[in-house]
Amino acid sequence: MATLARLSRRILPRTLSNLRLVRAFSAKAAQSAEQPAPPATTIRESADRVKWDYRGQRKIIPLGQWAPKIAVDAYVAPNVVLAGQVVVYDGASVWNGAVLRGDLNKITVGFCSNVQERCVIHAAWSSPTGLPAETSIERFVTIGAYTLLRSCTIEPECIIGQHSILMEGSLVETHSILEAGSVVPPGRRIPSGELWAGNPAKFVRTLTHEETLEIPKLAVAINDLSKSYFSEFLPYSTVYLEVEKMKSSLGISI
Amino acid sequence: MGSLGRAVYTLGLWIRETGQAMDRLGCRLQGNYYFQEQLSRHRTLMNLFDKTPVVDKDAFVAPSASVIGDVQVGRGSSIWYGCVLRGDVNSISVGSGTNIQDNALVHVAKSNLSGKVLPTIIGDNVTIGHSAVIHGCTIEDEAFVGMGATLLDGVVVEKNAMVAAGALVRQNTRVPFGEVWTGNPAKFLRKLTDEEIAFISQSATNYINLAKVHAAENAKSFDEIEFEKVLRKKFARRDEEYDSMIGVVRETPSELVLPDNILPDKAQKAVQ
Repeated sequence: MATLARLSRRILPRTLSNLRLVRAFSAKAAQSAEQPAPPATTIRESADRVKWDYRGQRKIIPLGQWAPKIAVDAYVAPNVVLAGQVVVYDGASVWNGAVLRGDLNKITVGFCSNVQERCVIHAAWSSPTGLPAETSIERFVTIGAYTLLRSCTIEPECIIGQHSILMEGSLVETHSILEAGSVVPPGRRIPSGELWAGNPAKFVRTLTHEETLEIPKLAVAINDLSKSYFSEFLPYSTVYLEVEKMKSSLGISI
Repeated sequence: MGSLGRAVYTLGLWIRETGQAMDRLGCRLQGNYYFQEQLSRHRTLMNLFDKTPVVDKDAFVAPSASVIGDVQVGRGSSIWYGCVLRGDVNSISVGSGTNIQDNALVHVAKSNLSGKVLPTIIGDNVTIGHSAVIHGCTIEDEAFVGMGATLLDGVVVEKNAMVAAGALVRQNTRVPFGEVWTGNPAKFLRKLTDEEIAFISQSATNYINLAKVHAAENAKSFDEIEFEKVLRKKFARRDEEYDSMIGVVRETPSELVLPDNILPDKAQKAVQ
């Protein structure tokens, strides 16, 4: 049955596109039968919506006059999205799958800091506290994987554990550590030299002197790792050759 | 093209071929560790056999998002960077004016233990925060799902309800009208104030405006991008105050002016 349909799709692309439309309506009808109050909106498709962009997602997305800036020796992974007012300073590293979206306010990633995999950093319009609503990550900060930051200030030499969430206007002072999975509510201040954990974040204990000394060491270790990644990427990719090859094979003049 | 131009072009072609030969030699020397870059094979909208995503023309779908299978996205909605909407075993419908922020995941369940089918239905003007995980849920109009929240099968978030950041809502929970739920597992925290309810719809409006800007930027062709790069370079380092002091009026090129409806005080202007 499926093969037959597949064949028919190959032979009759026109009819199938009609069929698909009919199907969309029938799906909607089925939905309305199940759900008493479906949203009565019509979806108008556009034919020129791109389903496959051969360029993929651009890493740097300027918005108006705001262009993201990356220092020459910062490592930003290829599938990171930097949009708007984002500055990545020297020695910082932004790892795969992270999204830094500075479209409402500034985002800075300081010297030797690192933002690990799949983090989302965003900034809000305004913060409930008097702090500036920009997200600033200062030097020697380690931000764990899957962390979400929104308009918060992280002072030098902190560690933010994995899966943490920092809401608007929160402040993490120097030499403090957030455990994995902690949620910092809006406007909360984490004083310096303390360890916090939980949802919502609560005080656990003060850090010993040795532990605070370890914090920059961790950041530097990750910086070293990022250097080996950085050296793996050439300054220009050679994909344009592929594009030229594809275009010439399709008969498009370059 | 003059004959001199032709000669230079041919010379360029020779040098390029030499460069490519050098590149191939370098690759050969790198041996097994060599990695050849490929074109992006990521598909933003992908159909599974006959399940086709239906996306409105005014919706923004980021190029790094994946919308797979039976997904319907309404007018003015935005699906941000790195999102995954995977409607493979059931259908997902996203209403109009909804935003699904970066790295979020929306998925469906074929059926849960009691055999109920669970499509995901997301209403109008819903805000779904970064990295939220929505699995087989119904989210009604103007609801708010905070950053990093996880909604398991069969959750219903009623109108104007709010799931706070980092919450985990267990199976078949109903988050009633105008309440905030938080924690793991999610529990009732407090009632939403009227201001906060107003904020939810405002946030949806802001995101509609913001999505327009991002959609315009992401849809640009290579030539436009290069042109704007040059413009940006040309108009960089020009301080408006300084210029006005020395009496020079420079106009920012229209390509570099963002629509001001993304500013907070002017956001109301673009309410549809």
